[in-house]
Amino acid sequence: MFVYEKKLQYPVNIKQTNPKLAKIIITQYGGPDGELGASLRYLSQRFTMPLPELKGTLTDIGTEELGHLEMIGAIVYQLTRGLTEEEIKKAGFDDYFVDHTTGIYPQSAAGVPFTAASMQVKGDAITDLHEDMAAEQKARTTYDNILRFCDDYDVKDAIRFLREREVVHYQRFGENLRLLTDKLDEKNFYAFNPEFDKNCFKSCMKKK
Amino acid sequence: MTEREILLKKISTYQFAAFDLQLFLDTHPHDQKTVAKMKEYRNMAQPLIAEYEEKYGPLTKRMTSSNHWNWIKGPWPWENEEDC
Repeated sequence: MFVYEKKLQYPVNIKQTNPKLAKIIITQYGGPDGELGASLRYLSQRFTMPLPELKGTLTDIGTEELGHLEMIGAIVYQLTRGLTEEEIKKAGFDDYFVDHTTGIYPQSAAGVPFTAASMQVKGDAITDLHEDMAAEQKARTTYDNILRFCDDYDVKDAIRFLREREVVHYQRFGENLRLLTDKLDEKNFYAFNPEFDKNCFKSCMKKK
Repeated sequence: MTEREILLKKISTYQFAAFDLQLFLDTHPHDQKTVAKMKEYRNMAQPLIAEYEEKYGPLTKRMTSSNHWNWIKGPWPWENEEDC
């Protein structure tokens, strides 16, 4: 189960509203490389993972991503709180406003609602770990792109923290991939699916 | 930043240091030096958490020394003092 901690992983304290920037940043809430998809991907993939390290890493990173989802929600909320109709119109926030007012809805920057179609749970640990590493890089690029449009220090500070976490997660997933392949037959890692063909581990082969 | 926010940031800093080392330990479970370092950061957060919860209410859903159900008391993590 999950226990809620009444705090953000890293503080978000934005003084200046900016609805235009909020519309870009919301893509990390519900967009194709966003935190919701990241969390759902890892927390779903973990059920059939073959090694304790993989189960632990996916559980912990999947949980951390929920914390990042909350941070993005906080950023979007603080960028759009107390807006006047005039400000909404001027910033081009009216198209979002008409559907959601200033509520926080999981969508991409282009307005596409969250979809699980942008993620995969393949049931093959090698394939899923490659997906996870790619996902971290895609999220890192998205944060880099967001930073191009940020000139507010308070927003930049939180986005930079989230960007750095993508790099760390990429590293951890890479270690997991190595831990996994170390336990497989080095002549051909891809001859078996390590989640389905349980006898493909070196430790099983020796017993035969 | 308010006094509450400064204390919360201190807690978050130690907790984050411990958390990041825990993630490292998932792939390096036998690294005793990292286990010790992680425990050190976790212990540094403990008295600050106690101080925070005494002053501002619980960080996880439970009773503090007060008889009131302070869990629902703001500000929530996405808010600041002015929001509530």
